[in-house]
Amino acid sequence: MVSGLSSERQPGKLRYTDENMSSRIRVFDSSVGSKLLIGLTGLALFLYLITHIAGNALIFLGADTFNTYAHTLTSNPLIPIIELGLVLVFLTHIFKTVQMFVRNKAARPVAYAVKKPAGTPSRKTLASSTMIVSGLWLLLFVVLHVQAFKYGLEYEAASGVRDLYRIEMETFASPLTVAFYVVSMLLVGSHLWHGASSALQSLGLDHPSWTPRILAAGKIAAVAIAGGFVVIALWAHVTGGAR
Amino acid sequence: MRLNLKIWRQAGPDGAGKLVDYAADHVSPDMSFLEMLDVINERLVKQGEDAISFDSDCREGICGMCSLVINGVPHGPDRGTTVCQLHMRRFKDGETVTIEPWRARAFPVVKDLVVDRSAFDRIIAAGGYVSINVGGAPDGNAIPVSKQVAEQAMDSAACIGCGACVAACKNASAHLFMSAKIAQLSVLPQGQVERTTRVVAMIAQADADGFGSCSNEGECEAVCPKEIPISNIARMSREFTRAVFAGK
Repeated sequence: MVSGLSSERQPGKLRYTDENMSSRIRVFDSSVGSKLLIGLTGLALFLYLITHIAGNALIFLGADTFNTYAHTLTSNPLIPIIELGLVLVFLTHIFKTVQMFVRNKAARPVAYAVKKPAGTPSRKTLASSTMIVSGLWLLLFVVLHVQAFKYGLEYEAASGVRDLYRIEMETFASPLTVAFYVVSMLLVGSHLWHGASSALQSLGLDHPSWTPRILAAGKIAAVAIAGGFVVIALWAHVTGGAR
Repeated sequence: MRLNLKIWRQAGPDGAGKLVDYAADHVSPDMSFLEMLDVINERLVKQGEDAISFDSDCREGICGMCSLVINGVPHGPDRGTTVCQLHMRRFKDGETVTIEPWRARAFPVVKDLVVDRSAFDRIIAAGGYVSINVGGAPDGNAIPVSKQVAEQAMDSAACIGCGACVAACKNASAHLFMSAKIAQLSVLPQGQVERTTRVVAMIAQADADGFGSCSNEGECEAVCPKEIPISNIARMSREFTRAVFAGK
């Protein structure tokens, strides 16, 4: 049906045609396929963050509960596979978003002298305009964060498991570290402020009455998740984990 | 009233353009924005200068030819309005007004404020049509279409192809334009035969023409003179998923 779809339709060559459509890579190279992949991986990372904040909140229940939780989690044989999956999801999200950012920039080589937001009903916010900045910052953050906690100090608690509670308290004893974490978590909130609901829109979820609720829920989740992490960091700093 | 205009002047596709200052005196608040430019052009022609080129046709808001970015917003400050339906009473006496063309790699400037929008024609030619052979003129009600579907299709079909969505989008994306056509034809019985190939081919053509992708900000919807919503873009995602994964 689409035969004849080739370079005669100037300018530029088509990235894929009906004949080689079976190639999934080419599908995901298209502007809509890229959105699907970014939305899917973004949603997975969002769901991961929900489990992360839920687990971290156990720190309020004391060192023993927290350390036991951490040990149970990390000693699960499925964890390395899940971690690998998470890394792949994370790298895919970064690769596709950076690639899309570069292509999107190329789509407007001459900038406007004057450009203003169009206003209602646009969803454009400071958060949506700075996704690449918040995203790249979080890449740096995640590297440092994983280094500090996953591959960090190895204290042993009295029960014999790794004393993650102590590592956390010592890490957040430094005001500089707390500041870095708080800034990073505000950027997580900013990223999710647009990203959480945007992921669902990218995947094609849309409904006259549900879309406004999804948009609101995304913002509530952004504040809750970022706020939760900030509270934990500040709490750890202030109390020093008065054990 | 009097306005200070800053208008993009560019001699040709390859020339470097710049904003040039023009004073617009004795502007009536009842003039349309394009009439105001007509008056300036008459003065320029009398003075032996090159008139400012801009696109217009019907001047009643339905053809999609006019295409000016006014003070940073495509089609100017009014919602759901083309530039030709914008009136000078919307501006203040003494105001500075910047006028620029649509800016996108896929919409090269032809001259001044005129851009070449044939990339949109190529997207439509790639799949935005129904080509089943129906013989002679069919009876109007031979194919039943429910009221709800007819309304839904008509809402998407209201697109006049002006390109304001591309102009407003930070990515110069054509997703709203093509999704409107894809959505319109995907809900109608006449559009089913080419439903799968259409969505794939139109997206591929838009990508090949150098339009960007979509960041779900919805600036396009906010400037669209026909107020076409980005729910069409979500539908395009579903249609694309259906086409490439369900293969039907």
